Amino acid sequence: MNATAYYLTTLLVYLGVDIMAVWALNLQYGIGGVYNFAFVLFQAFGAYIAAVLTLGSSSGNGGFQNYILGATLPFPLPIIAAGLASGLLAVVVGLVALRKLRTDYQAMVMLVISVIATLTVTNDTGLFNGPAGLSLIPQPLSNVVNPSSVGYQWFYVGITFVICAIVYVFVHRVTSSPLGRALRATRDNEAAAEALGKDVVRLRLFVFVFGNVIAGISGAVLVQFIGAWSPGSWMYVETLVFLTAIIVGGTGNNLGVMLGALLVPVGFNEATRYLPQIGRPGLIDALQWIVIGMLGLVFLWFWPQGIIPERRRRFAPTPPGTAPVSGSAGSGSGAPLADPTVLGEPR
Amino acid sequence: MSAAAGAAPASAPVAGGLLTVDELRRDFGGVWAVDGAGFTVKAGSITSLIGPNGAGKSTVVGIVGGAVKPTSGRVMFDGEDITHLAPHDRARRGLVRTYQLSSEFGKLTVLENLLVAAPRQRGESLLTLVVGKRYWREEEERHVVQARTLLERFGMSEKEDEYAGNLSGGQKRLVEIMRSLMADPKLLLLDEPMAGVNPTLARSIENDLVMLAREGLTLLIVEHELDVVERVSDSVVVMSLGKVIATGTMAELRARREVLDAYLGE
Repeated sequence: MNATAYYLTTLLVYLGVDIMAVWALNLQYGIGGVYNFAFVLFQAFGAYIAAVLTLGSSSGNGGFQNYILGATLPFPLPIIAAGLASGLLAVVVGLVALRKLRTDYQAMVMLVISVIATLTVTNDTGLFNGPAGLSLIPQPLSNVVNPSSVGYQWFYVGITFVICAIVYVFVHRVTSSPLGRALRATRDNEAAAEALGKDVVRLRLFVFVFGNVIAGISGAVLVQFIGAWSPGSWMYVETLVFLTAIIVGGTGNNLGVMLGALLVPVGFNEATRYLPQIGRPGLIDALQWIVIGMLGLVFLWFWPQGIIPERRRRFAPTPPGTAPVSGSAGSGSGAPLADPTVLGEPR
Repeated sequence: MSAAAGAAPASAPVAGGLLTVDELRRDFGGVWAVDGAGFTVKAGSITSLIGPNGAGKSTVVGIVGGAVKPTSGRVMFDGEDITHLAPHDRARRGLVRTYQLSSEFGKLTVLENLLVAAPRQRGESLLTLVVGKRYWREEEERHVVQARTLLERFGMSEKEDEYAGNLSGGQKRLVEIMRSLMADPKLLLLDEPMAGVNPTLARSIENDLVMLAREGLTLLIVEHELDVVERVSDSVVVMSLGKVIATGTMAELRARREVLDAYLGE
């Protein structure tokens, strides 16, 4: 019974983390048209920051780990700090990659940055303990609830979904607002959006930073649950799993990408555990990546809108007698509003 | 004064225009696409920019819109030097352009296409994140009314909820024009607004443009259809080989030998 509870709670925490991640990446890719192939880097950075801000000094635990910072901040400060740190890193990366380059080149730069970051963290052992990574990361509020109990597992599921709910409020505020509409316009036609007065670079930079703040938070939530983090946890292909979840679930739709998170990183990965052994050991794990990649391609080809397509925004009818905004053509003070009957034949 | 005498030989920018393009030059790898072009667009007028392929019209439009940087020269708009401003800064000052190819926001509805263009929206501010919908709802309702009035005016009300990407070529043109009007322009720069539009709708768009000018909007149009140019334009600027070779009304220009040689034919 305990084993089932542990398995279930672990799945739920992973689901919560993945949902936050796909919301964030969907904001960037699905809403803003930013191809952030370095997404997992920002999630990983948040995880590392949360870890080093809870582990205490690197001389602790016998000094077997080398890392920067080293503090013991109480919950939820490491998670907040992780979000802010990832956001800060995103400002730096965004200022380099998003200002001058076309979107396809931005994608290439992101991919390269992701690979460089993995190599840097792996080789610079003083940063986050190199390839061995960080372990024995304390779980939050473990002095209140016994962290090895099933109760704590469910408690952490609760923490995860509360954070998910908070994240959703902010994500929804963006996607349902004129800000989200401006981002979607930028995604659909960058030049036309700019010609209408939208500062495309600022919009892209905003969504890039905001999405990566969420990425950092999701990484922090995950690392505080599993207690360990190393370069092997965040290879660049992990971003492609999130991207596939978005494509499958429905690009641009928060509900759709939630479904994608359930189906791809959680459901698909778990389902393969129950497949019978085929061929040499490890073959199914190796094929997983191929199948996930093919899944994304199949959806892009046959079902590009995904399972739950982007929502069509309809507006409530205007109440009769509502006065239009005043203004005249060329005045720079409102659109021209001549008598509609002059030119109002249906076209 | 004869018609020929009424046409300026090659336009020198005149004072008092809403838009003044002055000695613009732009080279691409040693080839001068624009070579000292200059002209003025008077407030409240329709000015057409014509010329054979390769005359440099698109480059001039790109420079005026801000997408192309000039090698030298100056663009003045509403008394301000905007030569080095980004396209979005020009749009915010009231210089709004459309493109030769349809540039609708395909996955936004027609109404949303219009709403995007409303300038200085509270809902696009970062305060939206903090305050939420109550920060921008009232303003949004006003913009919806404004957009629906435009849709009604242009006979597109029935298409309000249609994805702009699903419209016909002509309807997309109308969406672009309506969207530009939502952006609160002082000058509308239209790059071949009739391209790919069926003749009936093209005639209708033509009437719309004339009506907008009568209401006080200034229009600068790049157009190949000379019949259209003749019907709608108060002034025509003729370009050839990167230079402005003449300005005037179409009637005046038809009497000019160099214009006939370069573009209009016999």
